[in-house]
Amino acid sequence: MGLPLFSATQDPGPSFYQFSQAAGVAFPPDVAGAGEGLSAHATTVIAVRFGGGVVMVGDRQATGSYIASRDVRKIEAADQFTAIAISGTAARGMEFIRMAQLSFEHYEKMTNSTLSLEGKANYLSPIIQRNNLTSPLIVIPLLAGWDSSHQMGRIFEYDGAGGAYERHDFATIGSGSPFAESALRLGFRADLDMEAALELGALALYEAGDNDPSTGGPDFVRGLFPMMVVIDSGGYREITNDEVGERFRAISERRTSTGGVPGGTLR
Amino acid sequence: MSNFFYVAPEQLIKDRATFAQKGIARGRSILASVYDVGVVMVAENTSASLNKISEVYDRIAFAGVGKYNEFDRLREAGIRWADSTGFTYSRDDVDARALANYYAQHLGDMFSEGPKPLEVEILVAQLGNKFHQTKLYQIAYEGTISDEAHFAVLGGDAEAVKARYAALFSEPTSLDVTLRHAVSALGGPERAIPANELEVGVLEDRGARRTFVRLNVGAISEILGT
Repeated sequence: MGLPLFSATQDPGPSFYQFSQAAGVAFPPDVAGAGEGLSAHATTVIAVRFGGGVVMVGDRQATGSYIASRDVRKIEAADQFTAIAISGTAARGMEFIRMAQLSFEHYEKMTNSTLSLEGKANYLSPIIQRNNLTSPLIVIPLLAGWDSSHQMGRIFEYDGAGGAYERHDFATIGSGSPFAESALRLGFRADLDMEAALELGALALYEAGDNDPSTGGPDFVRGLFPMMVVIDSGGYREITNDEVGERFRAISERRTSTGGVPGGTLR
Repeated sequence: MSNFFYVAPEQLIKDRATFAQKGIARGRSILASVYDVGVVMVAENTSASLNKISEVYDRIAFAGVGKYNEFDRLREAGIRWADSTGFTYSRDDVDARALANYYAQHLGDMFSEGPKPLEVEILVAQLGNKFHQTKLYQIAYEGTISDEAHFAVLGGDAEAVKARYAALFSEPTSLDVTLRHAVSALGGPERAIPANELEVGVLEDRGARRTFVRLNVGAISEILGT
């Protein structure tokens, strides 16, 4: 591409999405046949708010008619204080994450200021809407981050048409959602600390992996475990695979000792 | 009679060059220099928000002198070009040379065919790694592009500043010393530029993907000892 210059009236501004449409980069043209068919989003990703931020837990299995991969990353840092998770069509999801990462950085460089967390959530709406309403390759993301102007963790979930909704407790995406959601509804309290939020998120994912064939639970044979992420005032960081492994091993041992029955408590 | 409006091409080029030079000479100079582990760009700028120096990509920065609206549009185009090139291919494929060439072509076109030449002079700096070299590409108002090994000066007073800095520069040294030399060369023997009238951008590896940072007034005065 040559030098992308615009007149003042045609300028797409600091939005990379607007620019990519004006300049014809990225994003294929609309495909006929919206929204039907691929409704299973073969994933579980959970976000839980706690006093000092947000934790996210996501499974790592890519499922088609068979298990295509056991170590995909469904949660990525969009920038230092924001994480994006995806469910749905992998190809579109990966492109969506790249577009989001690039867009937030692009805005920063163009304007010399950072986009607010709410601004990021709203920015993604029309991108999801356009994708989901014009193609069968559905993507449903989940956005979580540390809002430095309000000094708190915030979670935004999306519906299939791109509507963004803020959640003050927790949110889930993917086919394992009903099972994860049940555990979260029973276990969530407004005064969770980080450790309790991580534990609740891990339990909820364990339930989803146990019941949903398209969600990968802990894989002790290969040593592959779900992703666990914390976003707080220190920014985005991932919990190491070893630490996540220990947490899931402890859950698994508790369940083993009772013959697979939780026994009326979240444990 | 038919040659009443005739202007010799030599005269036309000369007039256009004089026009552009006058516009550029109204602004203060910018100095960019390589130091031991990075590249520093120093501009005299009384505004804290209308920047002359900007991040373009992970290892590429932009600096412009002359008319703000003209070089800022070029800056934006550079960011758009770099971001879409990196999105289409890979982040490693974004190279300052390609961008500098596009700038040179555009400035050259505007100089010879535009309604008026652009009254700007710009710099594209790249911090080297195993894929790309450290480079300072300087592009003049008429599209002349030059590739400086150690330092470059843009703006009206460029020759004098360059001579003063050349006398201070022997080989790449620390950021602190480089910045002190740059500021003294920009100000000259008569004038000490206060820290709040300086804009400083740095490209340096700190373990992160993005290498550009702005130094704030506090950091600048600490280095300058003012």
